[in-house]
Amino acid sequence: MQTFEYAPGLVPPRAKTTDGDDPLHGELLKLNMGPQHPATHGVLRIKVELDGETIVRIEPEVGYLHRGKEKTCESLGWRKFFVHTDRLDYVQPLMNNIGYALALEALGGVKVPERAQIIRVLLCEMSRIGSHLIYLATTGIDLGAITMFFFCFKQRETLYELLDAYTGHRMNNTYVRIGGVYADVDERVQDAIEAWIDQFPAAVDEFEKMLTGNRIWYDRNYRIGAITKEEALAWSLNGPNLRGAGVELDLRKAQPYSGYERYEFEVAVGTVGDCYDRYLVRVEEMRQSARIVKQALKLLKETKGAEFLAEDRRYVLPPKDLVRSSMEELIHQFKIVTDMALPKGCAYHGIESSKGELGFFVASDGTSTPLRCHIRAPGLMNVQAIPMVSMGRLFSDMVSLIGSLDFVMGEVDR
Amino acid sequence: MVIVKRKELSLLERLYVPEIARGLSITFRKMFEKKITRQYPEEPLPKTEVTRGQPRLVVKDDGNIACVSCGLCEAACPAYAITIDGGETDRPIEREPKRFDIDMLRCILCGFCEEACPKDAIFMSDELELADYSREMLVYDMEKLKRPAAAMRKRIEYVHKINDRWRSAPRPPMLADQHGAHGHAPSASTAGSHASSPTAAAQKPHAG
Ligand code: SF4
Ligand code: SF4
Repeated sequence: MQTFEYAPGLVPPRAKTTDGDDPLHGELLKLNMGPQHPATHGVLRIKVELDGETIVRIEPEVGYLHRGKEKTCESLGWRKFFVHTDRLDYVQPLMNNIGYALALEALGGVKVPERAQIIRVLLCEMSRIGSHLIYLATTGIDLGAITMFFFCFKQRETLYELLDAYTGHRMNNTYVRIGGVYADVDERVQDAIEAWIDQFPAAVDEFEKMLTGNRIWYDRNYRIGAITKEEALAWSLNGPNLRGAGVELDLRKAQPYSGYERYEFEVAVGTVGDCYDRYLVRVEEMRQSARIVKQALKLLKETKGAEFLAEDRRYVLPPKDLVRSSMEELIHQFKIVTDMALPKGCAYHGIESSKGELGFFVASDGTSTPLRCHIRAPGLMNVQAIPMVSMGRLFSDMVSLIGSLDFVMGEVDR
Repeated sequence: MVIVKRKELSLLERLYVPEIARGLSITFRKMFEKKITRQYPEEPLPKTEVTRGQPRLVVKDDGNIACVSCGLCEAACPAYAITIDGGETDRPIEREPKRFDIDMLRCILCGFCEEACPKDAIFMSDELELADYSREMLVYDMEKLKRPAAAMRKRIEYVHKINDRWRSAPRPPMLADQHGAHGHAPSASTAGSHASSPTAAAQKPHAG
């Protein structure tokens, strides 16, 4: 097959047709995919120019879901911005909460209690499973495997019910606070999570049985959109896309946060870096996440009754009973809600989200108005790789490519 | 590190037809499994005390709301959904809201108002459905927001339970010192305040 070098804006020379019946007279077909195309997983617009069915020019256009989140942080203040982090990558709201909280804690120098860290790890891994389930479901349905959609959503439904039982919401949970989490995971929820996670590996086996050796899935993913190690690093890919290309980089291992060094798990790495590898890596990550969830549940049992929110009167709301009885605590309550300031300086914290390195850079001038909050969205880097992987390929491969790069536009556009 | 195993399709899998038969066998097996679909509006989802529905003002047993129009919930609301105008009252709490509106179309049910309120006046109910004929009707005023404490008891108790932290555990030294210096007896100040009706009990010394 003919391949083209990627050069933005450059239309490669077209193979001249000798066929006099060519209705296009050698012109390229310009096509708009999105922003409302179901296979673009959000409001991504992709401008493609096709020579027959081969992509010769491609330009992804982002920004249709831009809501100015970073600027919003500056006007809302640190505390209230938590609800906006939910709405970045909306298939894993709690993970975004945690990333943001970790950045604020790094700047404020807050020590998070052990139990809060365990709960955070638990929530992170459950979010990761939820996000990968969405990947499997939507990519499956895009490639014609409608059954996958139902199988994955059955699992995801249970997962959301568990989150509902813990946080009171299915999505947009907002249950993480600076210094810990808002509420403890009680035993009833722990047992429900345990029951679910016990049957989950069998469900993953079933997904694999459906897809891994499925010829349609195989033909549409195998050796499609291969990314080499060097390319992946040069394009700053991250998460399963990078690991699929054979680079072993997982922030949970490389720079552990929230006590990830205590958990036993493996980093899944691919060899070829095609869509098929990325799929296998995500499936393996679900298994590993299930392992971590089990270990976290065990640790939760061991630390029963311990603190889940730090004792820090600068950023953490005092307990309500003290607010009612003590003037000083009441003042703290008012101060934190209306006028919480972080110390002067800046901090960056990256976590391994299901899409890659999700980082928050926060800068404060010492007042309660944030100076800057920058979000490093892993999805943006993954969107940038679309031209590189799809250049010179058939147009129908676009669907598997977009699916396998796995981004959520809420986070890309933010 | 675990390197994922790539599969090479066997001849049988390449042939495709046996695979269809295998796929169909899964389909047939699934037909006899328990159905998990829920008929949502007819079959409502379970609501527990954890459910965070729309915020409501709690009417205490004496018929008043505890709100002193301090405006903390207004300040905590990330969606700017709450509007409060305060005024004076003859009741011992001295101030009460003259106007308390929550724009339910703006409210994102985050629960920050509940977390911020120092008077236990506002709580998240389990009411989630929201539909009406005009935008104006969805801006709830004080009368629409009021709910008797009895209807919200479970939620109130749950929120108090979350906030129970530090009570059972020995109090950290910093806090104990502070209280010592101000002459409070930390355990006595809260003991028994949640015996039966947390809101009513907690408000009693002030509201009478
Ligand atoms: S509901 Fe609570 S926080 Fe809001 S004004 Fe009334 S007392 Fe203050
Ligand atoms: S629940 Fe959140 S958005 Fe709704 S009124 Fe309370 S603070 Fe505002």
